[in-house]
Amino acid sequence: MQTKVLKISTADIVVEAPTVRGLMVRSKWMHRLLTFLMVLGPGLIVMVADNDAGAVSTYVQAGAQYGTRLLWILLLLWPTTYFIQEMVIRLGIATGKGHAAMIYQRFGKWWGVFSLVDLELVNFLTLVTEFAAITLAVEHLGITPYLGVPIAAVGLIIMVVTGSYLRWERTVVLLCVLDLAWLGIAFKLRPGVGELVHNTLVPGIPHGGLTGDLMFLVIAIVGTTIAPWQLFFQQSCIADKKLRFSDINWARLDTFLGACVTITVAGCMMVAGAYAMTHGVHFEDPAQMANAMRSMTGEGIRVGILLLMINAAVLGTTAISLSSAWAYGEVRGWPHSLQLPFKEAKGFYFTYVGCVALAAGLVLIPRAPLQLIILGVQVLAGIMLPSAIIFLQLLLNDKELLGEQYVNKTWNNWVNWTIIIVLFALSLILAAQVVAPNLFPSS
Amino acid sequence: MHFMPVTMDVNLNDLPENHYLVVHPLNDVPEEKIDTSNLGPMAMTPSVKISLLSLRAYLVLMMGLVLYHVLDLAGLFGHHG
Repeated sequence: MQTKVLKISTADIVVEAPTVRGLMVRSKWMHRLLTFLMVLGPGLIVMVADNDAGAVSTYVQAGAQYGTRLLWILLLLWPTTYFIQEMVIRLGIATGKGHAAMIYQRFGKWWGVFSLVDLELVNFLTLVTEFAAITLAVEHLGITPYLGVPIAAVGLIIMVVTGSYLRWERTVVLLCVLDLAWLGIAFKLRPGVGELVHNTLVPGIPHGGLTGDLMFLVIAIVGTTIAPWQLFFQQSCIADKKLRFSDINWARLDTFLGACVTITVAGCMMVAGAYAMTHGVHFEDPAQMANAMRSMTGEGIRVGILLLMINAAVLGTTAISLSSAWAYGEVRGWPHSLQLPFKEAKGFYFTYVGCVALAAGLVLIPRAPLQLIILGVQVLAGIMLPSAIIFLQLLLNDKELLGEQYVNKTWNNWVNWTIIIVLFALSLILAAQVVAPNLFPSS
Repeated sequence: MHFMPVTMDVNLNDLPENHYLVVHPLNDVPEEKIDTSNLGPMAMTPSVKISLLSLRAYLVLMMGLVLYHVLDLAGLFGHHG
């Protein structure tokens, strides 16, 4: 059979290029700036939303008990939280899929179900604590929780069900920016600059030594700064936003910026608690603290702290509820995108609405066991965090999945395994305190 | 003003010289990601096995401790009135 060779000139080949909607600019720096602003979102939100109602309570309590002497822990947590979320960025951009889906696929059904059930349970209990904080804050603002909580819940639902990822993201980024008001409060209440700098840079054990209370608070600080839902949230958010391989460095910058904001704001919360300590103010929750400090700090600080408590709870609720809805949608194979209208992703949106509505409803029940729920959250989160980190670490070393380009480098693994070992140790210390309460001397 | 960016639909073949196009990820052409559809469970290398076994041991220990604490609080061990 004769074989004919057909020669085609490259000039004859016409490649159809797609038409895309974009912004045309002339300068490279403007191109970079605008690209960064377009990518900005998932990293900032996951970090700032981590300063939720539970975090406000924990940091303020740390300040009230130990002044500014635990600020150095936040400095250690700053790169830790960034390194963990940076791995999530690589996994999300490379696969375009959520964390729950990857655990199911690579570790099998047993671990997939375990991770999902644990996430949904911890998330739901955390949502209850968010609405409990909203209840406390609105009460101190003179609004009945039977009005304040439903308004917050409806607002949270409307924010999400519009069928536009961008509309949700821009609203939440604005709430993140509002969180910077803590800087103003900390500036007003500040101790000496020397004390702040010293306690931030120089690790030290407060007077009284290593007590059970101190250990519990340190573990609570670590557990509130690095939360399991963050891994699921950011990866799903990156997948929903369809971040590209070329966006990876901007996504890292977005996350780094978020880490800076969240740690700085956490420090400001500790400063507020420290002010209460030095002025002999006793309280059981941040809302009480704000009220008790009014005669010293003025009405503005009082209202500011209460509104920021609500802001923290709203941020936490939307992020945590979305992490639940995305994870469940991924595993069930449902359409699960904020870009889809309600009728095209009913399962996904109903999961979100259900989480918010049930948690809001629970706190309005008279004599609901809120203290037990708050304790349960701390215990379950302490159990879940090490397992979530282990799966993340194993996935980021999975060359079959990610290829050479996106797997962890050796230094990544050294840092991450150190973090994992420390987290395991802290969880075991917490458990040991339960079994042997006299392990550490009491305060 | 000439430096004000303008949103427009642009064919990538027709981009003028010395101009840059900033495209939001949600408006961009879908990118091909790493294909995970043919991947099954992760290969159980020794490090993966050790990690997962350690995790199982940790979870069993922690759940046991939680159960102990709950039963202790309920007074089953006779410590609480």
